[in-house]
Amino acid sequence: MADQHQQNTTISKAFPVKPKLKPKPRTPSKSPESKYWSSFKSHQIQNLISSIPSIAFSPVPSSHLFAAANSASLTFFSSQTFSPTSSISSFSDVVSSCSFRSDGSLIAASDLSGLVQVFDVKTRTPLRRLRSHTRPARFVKYPVHDKLHLVSGGDDTVVKYWDVAGESVVLDLLGHKDYVRCGDCSPVNAEMFVTGSYDHTVKLWDVRVESKKSVIEVNHGKPIEDVMFLPSGGMIATAGGNTVKIWDLIGGGKMVHSLESHNKTVTSICVGKIMGQENGEETIQYRIMSVGLDGYMKVFDYAKMKVTHSMRFPAPLMSVGVSQDCMARAIGTSNGIIFGGKRKMKENEEKSELRDFLGLGSVEEPQRRILRPTYFRYFHRSQGEKPNEGDYLIMRPKKVKFAEHDKLLKKFRHKEALVSALTGKNPENVVAVMEELVARRKLLKCVSNLDEEELGLLLGFLHKYSTMPRHSGLLMGLTRKVLEMRADDIRGSDALKGHIRNLKRSVEEEIRIQESLQEIQGIISPLLRIAGRR
Amino acid sequence: MIRGGKNYVSSPPAFSNDTKRLLVCSGNAVSIFSTATGLLITSLEGHTALVTAVVVAPATSSASKILCYCWTASLDGTIRYWDFSVPELIKTIDIKFPIYSMVIPSILSQPAENNEKPAKIFAYLSVEGTKEPEKQSKALCGQIRKCNLTDSRLVGGVTLAETKQPELITISSCGKYIGIRIKRKLHIWKVPSADSDRTMAKKITLRHTKNMTVTAFHPTQRILAAGDVTGRILIWRGYGNRTFAIGDGGRSVNNEEERPGVRGNDDADCCTTWHWHAAEVNTLFFSSDGAYLYSGGKEGVLVVWQLDTGKKKFLPRIGSPLLYFTDSPDPSLSSISCADNQIHLLKMPSMEILKSISGIKLPCSFPETYKGLCSGVAFDNNAGLIALRTENYSIQLYSLFDDRGISEVQVCERNHHPGDDVTVVVTLVTLSLDGSMMITTEVKLAEEGLGGLVCLKFWALGSDNRKFSLSTVVYEPHRDAGISSIAFHPTRCMAVSSSYGGDFKTWVCNNGIQRRDQVLTSSRWTCHAVASYKKKPMTAATFSYDGSVLAVAAETVITLWDPDKNVLVAVIGETLTPIVSLSFVGKSEYLVSASWGSKPQLSVWSLSKLSISWSYRLHVEAIASAADLSLFAALVFLPKSSKSSESNETIFRGRDGVILIFNAADPVPSATWLVNKAKGGALAFLQVNQSSVEENMFDGKPLGSLLAYINGDHEYILFEPHGKEANELGTIKQEAVPDLEEAGKFGYASIYGELPESNLKRTQTSAVVPFVPSEKLLETMFSGSSHNLPPLTKLCSAFLESLLEKRITVSD
Repeated sequence: MADQHQQNTTISKAFPVKPKLKPKPRTPSKSPESKYWSSFKSHQIQNLISSIPSIAFSPVPSSHLFAAANSASLTFFSSQTFSPTSSISSFSDVVSSCSFRSDGSLIAASDLSGLVQVFDVKTRTPLRRLRSHTRPARFVKYPVHDKLHLVSGGDDTVVKYWDVAGESVVLDLLGHKDYVRCGDCSPVNAEMFVTGSYDHTVKLWDVRVESKKSVIEVNHGKPIEDVMFLPSGGMIATAGGNTVKIWDLIGGGKMVHSLESHNKTVTSICVGKIMGQENGEETIQYRIMSVGLDGYMKVFDYAKMKVTHSMRFPAPLMSVGVSQDCMARAIGTSNGIIFGGKRKMKENEEKSELRDFLGLGSVEEPQRRILRPTYFRYFHRSQGEKPNEGDYLIMRPKKVKFAEHDKLLKKFRHKEALVSALTGKNPENVVAVMEELVARRKLLKCVSNLDEEELGLLLGFLHKYSTMPRHSGLLMGLTRKVLEMRADDIRGSDALKGHIRNLKRSVEEEIRIQESLQEIQGIISPLLRIAGRR
Repeated sequence: MIRGGKNYVSSPPAFSNDTKRLLVCSGNAVSIFSTATGLLITSLEGHTALVTAVVVAPATSSASKILCYCWTASLDGTIRYWDFSVPELIKTIDIKFPIYSMVIPSILSQPAENNEKPAKIFAYLSVEGTKEPEKQSKALCGQIRKCNLTDSRLVGGVTLAETKQPELITISSCGKYIGIRIKRKLHIWKVPSADSDRTMAKKITLRHTKNMTVTAFHPTQRILAAGDVTGRILIWRGYGNRTFAIGDGGRSVNNEEERPGVRGNDDADCCTTWHWHAAEVNTLFFSSDGAYLYSGGKEGVLVVWQLDTGKKKFLPRIGSPLLYFTDSPDPSLSSISCADNQIHLLKMPSMEILKSISGIKLPCSFPETYKGLCSGVAFDNNAGLIALRTENYSIQLYSLFDDRGISEVQVCERNHHPGDDVTVVVTLVTLSLDGSMMITTEVKLAEEGLGGLVCLKFWALGSDNRKFSLSTVVYEPHRDAGISSIAFHPTRCMAVSSSYGGDFKTWVCNNGIQRRDQVLTSSRWTCHAVASYKKKPMTAATFSYDGSVLAVAAETVITLWDPDKNVLVAVIGETLTPIVSLSFVGKSEYLVSASWGSKPQLSVWSLSKLSISWSYRLHVEAIASAADLSLFAALVFLPKSSKSSESNETIFRGRDGVILIFNAADPVPSATWLVNKAKGGALAFLQVNQSSVEENMFDGKPLGSLLAYINGDHEYILFEPHGKEANELGTIKQEAVPDLEEAGKFGYASIYGELPESNLKRTQTSAVVPFVPSEKLLETMFSGSSHNLPPLTKLCSAFLESLLEKRITVSD
């Protein structure tokens, strides 16, 4: 081996001209978690009219259904294809909120007329009309473990606990001093729920309490936009202003963490799940997903108190929902677009499911006969024959690929090489060829030998790239030299003059940019100095 | 003591009769390599100066092919006869003149039929007549002499020619003709078929308009080829028809018109010219059947000419100028010697390279402007490796213990054309302490101010294949300024690069947490900190032994930094000229600096006192400090002036360098050696691990470290610095250790200043004045706020005191 190595080094190899390496981004490559979140294949649902204030996924995963409130209608979508399946439009005003019952067969929706209606999901017929709110109703929620009651709240500051079957209000919970905007029911208890209001407070209610007073009240400090229970049921998360706060209810309403990663108001939060496998066991990790008017969706790991993923959308976001099995995600915007996302299932997962379905082990394949040198077929093996385990592999030396300009450089046809690189698309290659020519002390000679058309090509290239910071070190100097050397030719040709005008414009623009940058630097540098002193 | 790094291409090699061995002149010895494996078999040692010629006695019959006798000639004025299979010296002929070239025509032409008394063997030598050097200084000092090898004496009174310099003698393969070229003339002698002491050879002269560089004789016909400096190859046919014809005046004189290309009255039928080479032709050789002519030159392309038609075939991309072409008795094997100290063995008709014998890379020539940027070599102290920059943009890793190349790293992916002027230079190379990382810098020279580029490259050693692979490339690390030095942190993945642009950067590798085997794929070097000191050019940088202190020389002062926090800790001293190298002395508190220029200086600084400890006015080429001792070695280059006096002449004997070993606290050197070719040399203390075989060679006792010295020609020697016995070294000879007085007398080591004493004084003055002066009293005395200045009466005394102190230094 050593000898072979020596062999290679004795004769100098031919190297193709390579562009300079580009710096890699300093930010570390994607963490497995952000890979997970960006693995949702995006779908856009465009043709809705106005903003999407609420999205609700069906609690039954097999139904692959979610509902989005949009204008004065409620539209159902398939979470697999993101195509609308049906819609309910028997609303007199804009729908503000919707909520599936725990078995997924009924859906409740509130609208700004103050009416809360309950529909059959399949037939889309309104079953009950709950009218009691005097002002627009803002939220409606089915309790997780209760099929008979509903919670709703609205601009009349009253939180109502309904008996759905009887279309009657069981309890009127008074206590909020401003619009009630949101609420959530406890995942572990059928009788408890929280509501959030614009009076900055979140109140925990228990319908069993006689006094009709809130059990716990926490102050978020900003008008509450959304509130939800975390899956344990002992903690809640509230969104208001540009912060998301996590509260410990069991600990008496103590704030655990305040998350301030959004720049504008956080409009909606929901719980996302990461289905993972660790040591062969299925694990589920919960995350808080928050969307805001700044167009960002953030994923927050509330165990590590860290934002683990951040994603930008080109519109203010109003609502977010994640399916129960976390295979689909839908984000509603203020301009009527729903950004759907569906996670691809891995093939092996599918296969394993299939195999489980079949309930059989792998069928034994018929064993192929091993070719031996005594067989005739042995000598007819083709090139595609795979090496056996014991075979000694002789690697073919890798062939160096030469581009056109490399071949020309090898033949010392320098000008042709430069022109061939210039006609190519890649500016990196052009600069690399120029650098090689500099190393051969031939660049200026090449420039002086270019004919008019080729000179135009070069000037066009210089116009485009000479102000690019990566290349400007070489190209600025070259531009000056070219102008000095070929001044007469340029004067004689109109096409070249045009190039020069373009070049001049781009250089002037660059100078303007540099001047403004210097101004900024002048502003910043005293600040930095002060910061450094501290 | 280990020596190595010999030049294999100083003289043409020779094949043994069975072509299984290749005899290569390497310095004072002849190394014998196996042609099958390319490895060293043995060497013939005995000559005391450079061996210039090796001639293998040819086999006269197939049975005698196994005979292994050879003649060697050397600059020490002896011709030796060896049996190189044993190897054993058979005979020594002392002719007392340095021999530059030797041919022995009679053993080539001697037919096998005479069984009775073998004829006497005559050698033709090109010697330097140094009998009366004063008289001959201007005149001709090269002579072509004849020597009777059988009787072991120079043939008296026979001097074929006298030349200005000793010339290389060329011989035809049948041994009938010998020739030399002197500038634009070729002198050719016909060797008498029955040679004896008295017979004189007949001579003809051929002329050309250009200086000729090489000649070759056709094996059978009277055809002579010569190459000149412009790359032309001239071929004379039928030379010497008149003079050498059997029977005088056998043929009439031809007309001028019938002899195309032949100049004047030269004795040849015709002369044709071939021109392919762009630069001078270095080697010419006729194939054994005479059908082809091989030529090679500076381009590194072997050209095969078909003699009758002039058609060419090429073996391109050898990568280095060709020096010699040697063929073997076996027609399918021959060798070419290249200027980069490699000998390639060629399989002949197809011209494939079978094996390469590669020696240490020779120092490469760089353009003047970048001489200062290039530091010589890097040592891996533990593994005994040396990293050398080569001309074809790579780094050769050479094992000093084994005297062979380990690997080569292509630093810069470019095609090397030996003839071109240098435009890309690998300037610096550094190995980390454990040898697992390497940093190189390369400079692309600008074309009229366009496209210059400095590039810093970090390399990591692969754990499995022991090869360096590129980890990080930094383009223009200090904008367009050149890098003056790079240094590794001794314990961590950290490095520093200092630039002439006035700043230095510390670099860290971001693989601190990761395991070793993952380093290769994911390690990445990033800039950790940038710092500058008064915008002065940073000329040298080094880490202390434990890595807690980073010393960076800002031209004439040394700045000490905390490498982690990037905080300036202290500034010490001032030298007269910019510092070029810095080194901490082991674990001790001393720092050594060397500065060049008009007032060179070797200074030792005490870090505890933050002041100079002692210094000499010496031009120091290299400093090496032992890791665990408070010793350091300095390679001092002696300028011509100090050697001119006669008293010195006897001591230096043409040597131009001294290795001094100092204890850092003591300005008296503890050991001294005189060395050759110190310019561009380097020094290092190598750790000898107990398991290595070489350790046993040193008197059987365990050794701490060896001192390695590599000279300007990349010949090196490893020796034990504390060995008291006189080592007879040849190039490096231990002299009687001169003490300091002697050194002062000879002027190469005049004491710069007794500053420890002035230190004492300064502490006294600082008790008087309310502020503490740092180092230079005169400069700092009047600095400071005015209300803080001491009264004039006190200042006056301090001022005068400082003047007094200066006087003392001068008078000393």
